[in-house]
Amino acid sequence: MNRGLLNWCFKKSIWVYHVNAGSCNGCDIEILDVLTPYYDCERFGIRLVHTPRHADALLVAGPVTRQVRERLLRVYEAVPQPKLVIGVGSCATGGGIWFDSYATYGGLGNVLPVNLYIPGCPPRPEAILYGVAQALGLVPKQVAAQEYVET
Amino acid sequence: MFRHTISELKEALVCLQAGQVTLRYPFQPHPAEGEFRGLPAVEASRCIGCGACANACPARVISLEDIEGYRLVKFELGRCTYCASCRDACPQEAISMSPMFETATGAAADLVISLRLKLAYCRVCGAPLGTRRAMEWVQSALSETGEYPGEMIKGLEMCLPCKRRQALTTAILLEEVAA
Repeated sequence: MNRGLLNWCFKKSIWVYHVNAGSCNGCDIEILDVLTPYYDCERFGIRLVHTPRHADALLVAGPVTRQVRERLLRVYEAVPQPKLVIGVGSCATGGGIWFDSYATYGGLGNVLPVNLYIPGCPPRPEAILYGVAQALGLVPKQVAAQEYVET
Repeated sequence: MFRHTISELKEALVCLQAGQVTLRYPFQPHPAEGEFRGLPAVEASRCIGCGACANACPARVISLEDIEGYRLVKFELGRCTYCASCRDACPQEAISMSPMFETATGAAADLVISLRLKLAYCRVCGAPLGTRRAMEWVQSALSETGEYPGEMIKGLEMCLPCKRRQALTTAILLEEVAA
């Protein structure tokens, strides 16, 4: 899709639908923290909505279990285009300690195209805020792959 | 009713006193306090590639692979659970838990740390034995004790089959000398 069009579409408030895809609730609690007045995610125009049809972004926590995959795909299809997918927590990023379990799909990236990963077990509320601000282009990305070769 | 109005006014005063509670993060930094465990940091120059961290890691983040004369130690930190077992297991104290938590990224490949350490080979048959650094570390630790002769420490540079072969041939030689 045209990047300029995407930027124009996401210029205003992003409404988020929160999906638990087999998460242990740790990440969900941190997501709730972000909505409290202390962290106040609504400063950035972000708010939780109650149906995926109103959402611009999916906030998914958990390694995507076999049971939840069908429902997750249905939720994903219900979100109108253009849509963002944000994976919260180590489970969504790489499957966590269940990355090779028969019961999960080993991370959100194996099921949906993901736009942003927020790793952490669980991520601090600040980390989620940082990720959100990064998605909005307010702060730079801080991590990069590191390579070392012995000489 | 009048009483209610007064209590409501009091509440309004309390709200005025409270002021702003919202954190200014991310426009102002808000570092983690205490013993917060963030992204593991690896001091590559100290790593000997022994794999103790890979054994300890519950999420099996760390993998070892011997390719093209190097041992590849790969940390796929996307699925790290920040338990610090690797830090506790490392004999060289090469791993530390940094306070860094601002790790959001578009690609999980950004969270990979890979180290390539030179391999040591058996001096007889050329089979890979481990990393050169691990070899040097064991040799220096053994020679520091002063209990082992130099040839024995040199014997570490051989693989197990070659060591056995050498032991057998020297035993036969000794028997012949005795006879």
